[in-house]
Amino acid sequence: MATSYELTYIVRPDLEADAKKALVERFDGILTTDGATITKSADWATRRFAYEIDGYREGTYHVINFNADNDDAINEFDRLAKISQDILRHMVVKRDAE
Amino acid sequence: MSEERKTQNSERPSRPRRPQGGPRRRRKVDFIAANHIEYIDYKNVELLERFISERGKILPRRVTGTSAKNQRKVTTAVKRARIMGLLPFVTED
Repeated sequence: MATSYELTYIVRPDLEADAKKALVERFDGILTTDGATITKSADWATRRFAYEIDGYREGTYHVINFNADNDDAINEFDRLAKISQDILRHMVVKRDAE
Repeated sequence: MSEERKTQNSERPSRPRRPQGGPRRRRKVDFIAANHIEYIDYKNVELLERFISERGKILPRRVTGTSAKNQRKVTTAVKRARIMGLLPFVTED
């Protein structure tokens, strides 16, 4: 049975619109190639942080809702998001059936 | 429902709780239960700010009146929000 997850990541604020679009598409692709089905992927807001993260005071939050049967997609996303310079922080939480 | 509340708040002479001249205690309500919030989203900063102090600390149950079950949910949500930079870990004066 597929579990539903909610993934949020923070994109660097000084990234150009084109580069950001490419980044979002790339990371959506990472999830889908590892067997996850995305139900929703949208920007949530550009907010000021409560504290400084990697020298930035604000950032764009992107939220993805997806379903997956195993943790392959999450692990791969986690690995690449950690490498990426443009993603400041990310978090995956389990969402029970609503 | 408003009828019921009216009778509760009106002055009743035979109320044993309040000592003479003592401060009138407001009945604490579980905000989460009162508003029927099923899932506490860590991105809902306006909601979570009710449960943290000015210094950014999580308020105890005895202050907010939250039930034990909901307090656990609040705590998890606040901690998640802190990691994602939505709420402060500490606030300096």
